Amino acid sequence: MARGHSKTVTYAVVGSGVVGTRVVQHLTSLGLAPALYSHKQRTELLSKSVVVLACARPHAQLATMLIDEGVSVVSVSDNVSDIMDLLALHDRAVAHNARLVPGAACVPGMSGLLVSHVAKAFDVMDEVHVAVHGTGGPSCAREHHDSLSGRAFGWHDGEWIERPSGSGRELCWFPDPIDAKDCYRYASAEPMLLQRIAPSLQRITARVSATRRDRLTAHLPMLSPPHAEGGVGGLRVEARGSRNGVRHNEIVGMAEKVASVAAAVAAHTALRVGDCAPGVHVLGEATLPNADILTAVLASGLTLHQFVGHE
Amino acid sequence: MKFIRRVIFAASVAGIIAGILRVRGKGGVPPQQGGWREVTPKQ
Repeated sequence: MARGHSKTVTYAVVGSGVVGTRVVQHLTSLGLAPALYSHKQRTELLSKSVVVLACARPHAQLATMLIDEGVSVVSVSDNVSDIMDLLALHDRAVAHNARLVPGAACVPGMSGLLVSHVAKAFDVMDEVHVAVHGTGGPSCAREHHDSLSGRAFGWHDGEWIERPSGSGRELCWFPDPIDAKDCYRYASAEPMLLQRIAPSLQRITARVSATRRDRLTAHLPMLSPPHAEGGVGGLRVEARGSRNGVRHNEIVGMAEKVASVAAAVAAHTALRVGDCAPGVHVLGEATLPNADILTAVLASGLTLHQFVGHE
Repeated sequence: MKFIRRVIFAASVAGIIAGILRVRGKGGVPPQQGGWREVTPKQ
């Protein structure tokens, strides 16, 4: 059954954690009345037009059920396997006239919007390097912990490379007050999503900040329960390419709470998901109104920074 | 034998101190030139 994206669009948010409650706040501040549900209240979700999945992963099974009923879905899951499962739902979404946007959080999500934004400064953009510092709520913290074990993917000169998570130390500078953090490769779907956004890219890396303790205990269960929310986090997107025949760099970043970024991105993506054709879309892809979403996210109180100078 | 024990003791102390410094040391960061400025999407 097709869900029209007109005046009768109804929204629901699944998950009452830091991200879910903030998505509700965003939508409420715009005069909408989103309903907040738990992931067990599946039947109630079927009557909605757009559902934001901000609950603990995995999201693929619930998203499949919703798409089969023509409900559009925005997912904040950043788990590699979950995102790959969501990406595989394209044909299903098209068949049921639904839209699905996976990875609509901070990284991935905001990073894709920033890549789309900085791409305009290049004639040819051939490298993107993303780094993130901090976590949102407890689920994000667990994902951060798990992602430092296992395998990390990168795109290098036209082919995928696989390296151990926790390897590839690089000092990355974030906007104040975060400054410089040691960042490492980690299990993330970000390189796959960025390669989809910009197939011309030759090199793509994704790193996350980690302490020595994080890396040493990555293969163990979390030794202490995560905090309700992390502190100020950071996002850095560095793009390299050429402009007017000369090599050029663009570095943009944010220093905000990760959950706040994720919630703003998810909320404003949900508002605009009806602007695209049925199917799976990734933030930063040309099929989404990325500039509008980015403008709306920044207008909600988040600040974008640009690095000027040399590192 | 006494000499060997002294060598082992000295090496152990040095290793413990090095380990503490490695784990607890703050190190430093290389300098950068430039800084961050706030931008709007239109910039």
